[in-house]
Amino acid sequence: MTDRSLEPTMVGAPAYQGEYQGKSRDEASRKSAGLVAERLKRFSGGAGMWSAVPLGLLLLAGFFGPLLLVVLYSFMPRGSFSPIGWPTLENYRDIVEQNFYISFGWSLAMAVVATILLLLIAYPLAVTMVRLAGKRADIYTILIAAPLFVAENIRLQGWSLFFDKAGLLDGASESLFGAGTGSLVGNVPIVVFGLVYVYLPFMLFPLILGLTNVAPDAREAASDLGATRFQIFRDIELPLASPGILIGTLLCFVLALGAVSEAKFLGKGVVIPVVQDIDSAFTFGQNWPRGSALSVLLILIAAAAIVVVMRRVDIDRMFTRR
Amino acid sequence: MALLELRKVDKFFDDFVAVDRVSLSIEEGEFFTIVGPSGSGKTTMIRMLVGMDKPTNGEILLRGKVINDVPANLRPTCMVFQSLALFPHMSVGANVEYSMKCKGVPKPERRRRAMHFLGIAHLPESYYDKPVTQCSGGERQRVAIARALAFDPEILFFDEPLSAIDYRLRKVLERELKDIQRATGKTFVYITHSLEEAMVMSDRIAVMQKGRIAQIGTPHEIYRSPTSHFVSEFMGEVNSFTVRPDGDGRLVDLKSGRTIITVPDATPADLKSGVLVVRPEDMLMGRQIPAGAACVLAGRIVNEYVLGSRVQYQVKAEEDLYLVEKIRAADDTETVGSEVEIGWKPADARIFAEPMQ
Amino acid sequence: MADIHPLTRRLLWLFFAVVSIALYLPMLVTALASLSRSRFFIFPVSRYSWKWYEDTLASQQIEQAAITSLIVAVMVALISVVLAFFGALAFARYDWKGRKSFQYLVLLPIFFPQAVLGLAVQLWLNTIGVEMSWHSTVFGQLVWIAPIATLVVAIQVFGYEPAFEDAARDLGATRWQAMRDITLPLLWPGIFSGFLFALLLSWSNFPFAYYTSGADVTIPEWLHAKMIGGYTPMVPAVGTLSIIAGAAVLVGGFSIAAFVKAILARKAARQRPA
Repeated sequence: MTDRSLEPTMVGAPAYQGEYQGKSRDEASRKSAGLVAERLKRFSGGAGMWSAVPLGLLLLAGFFGPLLLVVLYSFMPRGSFSPIGWPTLENYRDIVEQNFYISFGWSLAMAVVATILLLLIAYPLAVTMVRLAGKRADIYTILIAAPLFVAENIRLQGWSLFFDKAGLLDGASESLFGAGTGSLVGNVPIVVFGLVYVYLPFMLFPLILGLTNVAPDAREAASDLGATRFQIFRDIELPLASPGILIGTLLCFVLALGAVSEAKFLGKGVVIPVVQDIDSAFTFGQNWPRGSALSVLLILIAAAAIVVVMRRVDIDRMFTRR
Repeated sequence: MALLELRKVDKFFDDFVAVDRVSLSIEEGEFFTIVGPSGSGKTTMIRMLVGMDKPTNGEILLRGKVINDVPANLRPTCMVFQSLALFPHMSVGANVEYSMKCKGVPKPERRRRAMHFLGIAHLPESYYDKPVTQCSGGERQRVAIARALAFDPEILFFDEPLSAIDYRLRKVLERELKDIQRATGKTFVYITHSLEEAMVMSDRIAVMQKGRIAQIGTPHEIYRSPTSHFVSEFMGEVNSFTVRPDGDGRLVDLKSGRTIITVPDATPADLKSGVLVVRPEDMLMGRQIPAGAACVLAGRIVNEYVLGSRVQYQVKAEEDLYLVEKIRAADDTETVGSEVEIGWKPADARIFAEPMQ
Repeated sequence: MADIHPLTRRLLWLFFAVVSIALYLPMLVTALASLSRSRFFIFPVSRYSWKWYEDTLASQQIEQAAITSLIVAVMVALISVVLAFFGALAFARYDWKGRKSFQYLVLLPIFFPQAVLGLAVQLWLNTIGVEMSWHSTVFGQLVWIAPIATLVVAIQVFGYEPAFEDAARDLGATRWQAMRDITLPLLWPGIFSGFLFALLLSWSNFPFAYYTSGADVTIPEWLHAKMIGGYTPMVPAVGTLSIIAGAAVLVGGFSIAAFVKAILARKAARQRPA
């Protein structure tokens, strides 16, 4: 096998290289088949690393650098504007003592509820896309993805105009039934609604990817072996789709935890999410170390979730659908 | 009463007829194979037999009861998929046990029975906890068979499970499958595109062509007395001549105008034009040709293919190419370039009314 | 049976339709609000007018914001697609030692709250003494958008048969020739999608622009400032225009892709012997 596959290299490569690259025939013919194969292999290894360099450098300079700096700042004394100084834990103490955990609690609670709702809503949608849409799946994908390309602000403002007093819903029900709904914004459920709305595609696409990994054959085989619909769902579909489910859950949880616009535009200030506290610490408060300490806590929660989930997911398997 | 019976079963996909008025019956304990080229409707057939598709017309009966509308999970039959469809997130044992788990069989009992079926499928008990993703091609094959047997089906269907396996392993698995069928006494219905595979394992074979059954019979009948040009060609390359009767009970080769001698009852009575077929292994060469051969042609060997103990020659005679196959002998003198005479005995020629479409 | 029950099918489609409408509802409301003459949006609308669009088109400030947004989006898309092309090869094509770690590394920024990341980038640029302007916004957005573009291209790369490239090399092509003649043409659809994705994500991105643009203002930033500072019907007008611009790019992009595909198909059909 190996010998035969290398034959063309031995015969062909020197001639071609001599003709097209103007290399001396001597140099070219010195390469034995083995050497060429070796070079191809090494090329592939080196190429992988070299291809990773540009993006790697960007992430080093734009992701790890900043995060490291945030961690450094979080240990600086209150109100300092330099990352170099005597380290202290006072910012973390302040978080506990000055009730910053309240915004943390709200953000966490809303993120958890929104993620659960997203799972319940996106799962049937993903099933529709994977098992019913057939050839038109591409068009539906664009249909669902397109709102991502409209600024979050605009879309949330749109919902606000829909739900607010004298808004579309209120006005329409007033003129149809004689009784309006009044203002439906400025409460916690509407903020959760906003989170669900904004992050729906982030749950849906991983679920679709996950469900595509469930071979129709496996489902049919289970059915053939006497499994009920529920048994197929529980024993075959859920476990095989679990990488996608895990990634979607993680993504939505982390993004919802760090969300701020929903509370601003739909909550009208009824809850303060943690990122707003971070933002105020950096801007109005001019207390970078406190903002950094809050960020570090947020980052730790997100990182913990990422580590837990990513250890169970093989990215190659997910994309190649094997 | 037949175990499984089809009565005039049709399957349409829009205007396309995938299966066309097929009737057949399969007996209990039989190894029955449906064989046909791709597009002959055999996959549609098995999907209907298993319950994954419904026939458009006709009836499918299991032990005399119509089961057209019974879905796959409620039928007492089971299929080994072409892809095997092993559950990749489960161990070998969990795969084999799955049907018992669905029925609510307690764990120790499941395990005991799974071990039994692993044994039947020639798998060591130590494989019970092995993830299926770590099994080799042949092992996965055996797991799939064990899983299907553990369901205790009335009929076990196979949808070309060996097609992706390399030649030598396939030969081993074909025999194992036949052994398992004999040992368990189960009814096996097997689908394949390879007549060679069908011959090794089957008690009876149905050859399909364009949604219809071209012939049903034992492997011997299919090989010895094919009833159509299609079936005879499906076995492998053959030498064909377009012929018509000359009115005196003899046949004339349309191309060369030569008269071909045949055995009297080999020619269909109302034949207008037809095809005369001689298998390469029935062809004779040089001094093998006896007096009174049906036809003798002079030609030259242009190619030689060694098939292990046999050898096949491509002979060019009168601008046409013929295949001649014979057992290799130490004193063979024929080689590429040799001038030879070829011919055949009248009894070895088969005549079919319609040329193959 | 493994099939979905017809009734369930219908319910699933119904649910899908309801959600799809809900996805676009706020944009329709925005468009409606932009056409209402009154200072505050009240439904039913009593008088329609184009006034807010006229005001918008007359505004120098908005024009400047649109130009800034566009420049940032094009820069981000161009740089992203180059980084993403090589990144995707490292992510999905080549088998190298650090691959698994690299995959997680690329996914990490996507899995991060954008606001926190934006603030961190701001802090970082401040500390190392970079003047904030649209240049720094390009940098900030790249941190989040380039990994997403990489994923989009990587999906194409996962479906790509590396043997093609090896075969080209084996036939005597240089590394560069193999890349130009084999890899690039085959990955072209993914690269194009990646570009489109990056362009549109940057166009609609707020958090990074907010924290890293200094005195420069993008459209989402302008909208945010007005929403916070007090509603004016120019907000939905600008929003609607921004949506229309995005939609035009999306539709235009896919039309170009479909057009090119059709041309290639026709060419292939003509070359095939009859």
